[in-house]
Formats: sequence, C-alpha cells, structure tokens
Amino acid sequence: MSEGAAREPDADAQRRALRRALGAGRTPLRIVAERVLGAETRIDLVAITPDGETRLVLIAEPGREVEAVARGLAHRAFVEARLADWLQLAPDLGARPEAGVRALVLAPAFGAEALAAAAAIPARRIELAFCRFERVGPELRASIQPIGATDPAPTPSVGPPEPPAARFRTGLSDADLGVSVEEQSALEAPLPRESPRRSAPTEIL
Amino acid sequence: MARGLGDVLHYFLPDEIAGAGERASWRTAAGSPPRLEAAALPIVALPVAERDVVRAALAWNLTVEIARLGASASLLAPKLGDGSLLWPEPGRGPVGAELVHSPALDLGSLYRDAADVAVQRAAEPCDGGVVVACVPPHWLRSSADDAALLRWALLFATPDGRDLLETYALTKFLLRRRPDAKVGITIHGVRRIAEAERAFERLAGVAARHLGRAPRSYGLLVDDLHVYRAIVARRPIGLEHPQSPAAKALRDVARLVLADARTENRV
Repeated sequence: MSEGAAREPDADAQRRALRRALGAGRTPLRIVAERVLGAETRIDLVAITPDGETRLVLIAEPGREVEAVARGLAHRAFVEARLADWLQLAPDLGARPEAGVRALVLAPAFGAEALAAAAAIPARRIELAFCRFERVGPELRASIQPIGATDPAPTPSVGPPEPPAARFRTGLSDADLGVSVEEQSALEAPLPRESPRRSAPTEIL
Repeated sequence: MARGLGDVLHYFLPDEIAGAGERASWRTAAGSPPRLEAAALPIVALPVAERDVVRAALAWNLTVEIARLGASASLLAPKLGDGSLLWPEPGRGPVGAELVHSPALDLGSLYRDAADVAVQRAAEPCDGGVVVACVPPHWLRSSADDAALLRWALLFATPDGRDLLETYALTKFLLRRRPDAKVGITIHGVRRIAEAERAFERLAGVAARHLGRAPRSYGLLVDDLHVYRAIVARRPIGLEHPQSPAAKALRDVARLVLADARTENRV
C-alpha cells in the first residue's frame, strides 16, 4: 500500500532498498521523488528512465495487489496530467511527456485477479514485478523481477506533433508583446555581474 | 513617487541589518494610516496564464499569507480549460484564504465577479483585506473598454532577461489599457537581494524611459527548494515550511500588498 500511516515500520528502509535496486537494473531508473501526494494517496517513488519515461513505483500491501493496480492507474492519470507542470518547476528533471508515464506495482506475489487486471491494460501504462526484501547484515536489499509483459509490443504513443512551445510563461509570443527592438535589447542584455541562473532543482521532493 | 526595491528592502533584510526598530509593521506601527471602513475590498489583478504553475502557485501562496496576517484574502480565477489543476478546491481553504472560480470569459465580467467578492468580503468582520484576481495575460491585449479591473496590478518576474521582457510587455499592456494603473513588481527566483535589485532597476528604468512610468516594487521572493516542494505537495509554503526564507519573504510581500490596500488602492 502507499499510505505511510498504516505501513510496516520499515517502509523507509524498503524505499531505500528499492532506490538502490531500481538504480542498478538493466534499465536503471533515476529516482526523483519519494512519497509524492497523488489524488488521495502517496506514490512511493517517482523515477525517470534513461529515455525519459516516468515510472511511478508502488509497493503493494500483501493481499491488496488488485487495489494497488487500480491505484497505480489512478496515480498514472494524475501524474500524466501534471507532468508538464512539474517540468516547469524542474526543467532538468529528464522526463519527456511524450515518453509516457507508467505505473510499476511491486509485490512479493500477485493473485490471479491482479494479473488479469494488469493484463487487460496496455503494458505501457502499468507493469507488475515481483519484489522481495532480504536483510543482509544491517542492510535491507531488494530484488525485483519483472513479470513478462502481456502486451508484447507496447507502442509508444505517437500523436500529432506538439505545437511549438510558447516563448513565454504567459503563453504570449514575441509577436504578441509589441515591444521595440530598443526595448527588447535593453531588457534582455545580461544583468551586470550576473552569475548564471540556477535552474530549478532536478530532484523536486 | 516611484517606489523602488530599495524602498522596501527593510521588509526583506534580517533584523540585524535593517534594524529591528525600523522593521515595517503595517498593523502596529505608530504611523500606520488609520483604519477605514470600506464598501469593497481592493482588487489586485495578477496576470497568470492557464498553465503557468509557478505564478499560479505564488498567487495562491500570497493569498494564504495575506490571510495569515489576519486579513480577508480571496483569490478569484477564471475557470478556463484544464487550469483547475493549478488550484485547490474552491471555497475556504487554509487560515480562511478563499478560492473562487469565475465563469468570466473577458476582463469586464471578471471585474464584476471580483467586485461581488470584494463587496461581500468587506461586509464581513475582518481587518481589511484584498481580492486577488487572476487575469489570463492574453486578455490584457484586447483594446476593449473594460479595464476597471486593471487599476492595481501585480506582476511576478524572475531576473531572467526573457522574463523581464515579458513582464515589461505586460506593464505596457496594462498602462495602455489604463494609464492610471498602479503596476507592482515582485521579483522571484533570486538567490540574493542584489540580483533582485538589478533586475528591478533594469525593468523600472526601461519602463520609465519608454512608458513614462516606472512600476513600483513589491519586493522579492528568494529561490528556495521549499517553494517547489510546496507547489508539488499542493500545500501553502507558509503552512508547510513557515520558517523558510521563502515563506518569510512571501509574508513580507503580503505585508506590502496589504499596506497599499489599506492606503491607496481602495475602491
């Protein structure tokens, strides 16, 4: 489950172990946020793949895998609608909206209903993986084994080409501004002794 | 007389620099203007584009800070497209700050809705207050004769050259539509006060030279990771991280807005 209140006491340790495991896989995921508030509950981890896909990682509570699948879809819809907003806050996040958003539901085991529910959904939207935690000395380690995709040929969402981005945050273009060349050059010249502006943080949570 | 950032820096500097005795306090200072009863709260127009997350978040956070100062604070936003993603649920929110959606599709009807809220809230027992009306920036380009809402406007700008250009253009639109408009600027996304000063001076200088009027300063907001975290968490920064530099700076901007609301922007 994704709400910390009812979580096992070592939920933080589980997330730390997952961060390490997800970052070391064949397709390493870069974790950019933890416990992000979705529509109602929290997303355990938000990660970005090397090609810019956004992955939402949920740890299912034993016996509640079907609920986790549903919650993963809800989180996916929530994040997909806000990804462009997040990129305004953290332009260097590395996420590409066109690469999509996918939920990754982790559990030690999945029942037939959870597997059937996930199989009915395109794999580019949700993925299931077995996840087991093992304590090695003081360290908790996670091993993750993806369950074979039921949608063998996930097609990247190819839509009409994105319209060119507006030049300004107001949505106005240069042509809309109605400023003279003189005004423009006076405002756009680098400020005296200005150091390069820090971009928004890559890790936002 | 134009107000530059230097005139309001005492709000933003630590006490040991500004002098605790000189720190502005609009509510308690002996020289504060006398409180007057008004038929309507002042309305400040704040241009925010439909998907401009940062300005939308700053607008709502400013509204909450005004409420935290004990004043009535309402944010009115036209409900356009998917813009509802930017705002909390309509109604009273934290510390009494209020979000009102307006069905307005133009500046004139947005003003009427804002005036309704301003009259209603003025009738309630409160220590003054403000209605913050978010205006889609492209509405400012119209030449229609409905500029009542633009009497007092606040613009958020970063020191980035392109952002200053955009803010200058908005200032130009505002003054073209309403030559007597009071245009205020809050510089955000800065790390140092000097950075904000240079940006404001640049903007004010070009405006004075080409528009014949300089905007007035409404201070600065420091760049702070807490701001971004609060935006993503959809929790007002003043409640989530009240001791952060960003929250303190926002409170100072709220004080400036309230101070002007109590003196010269009454409707």
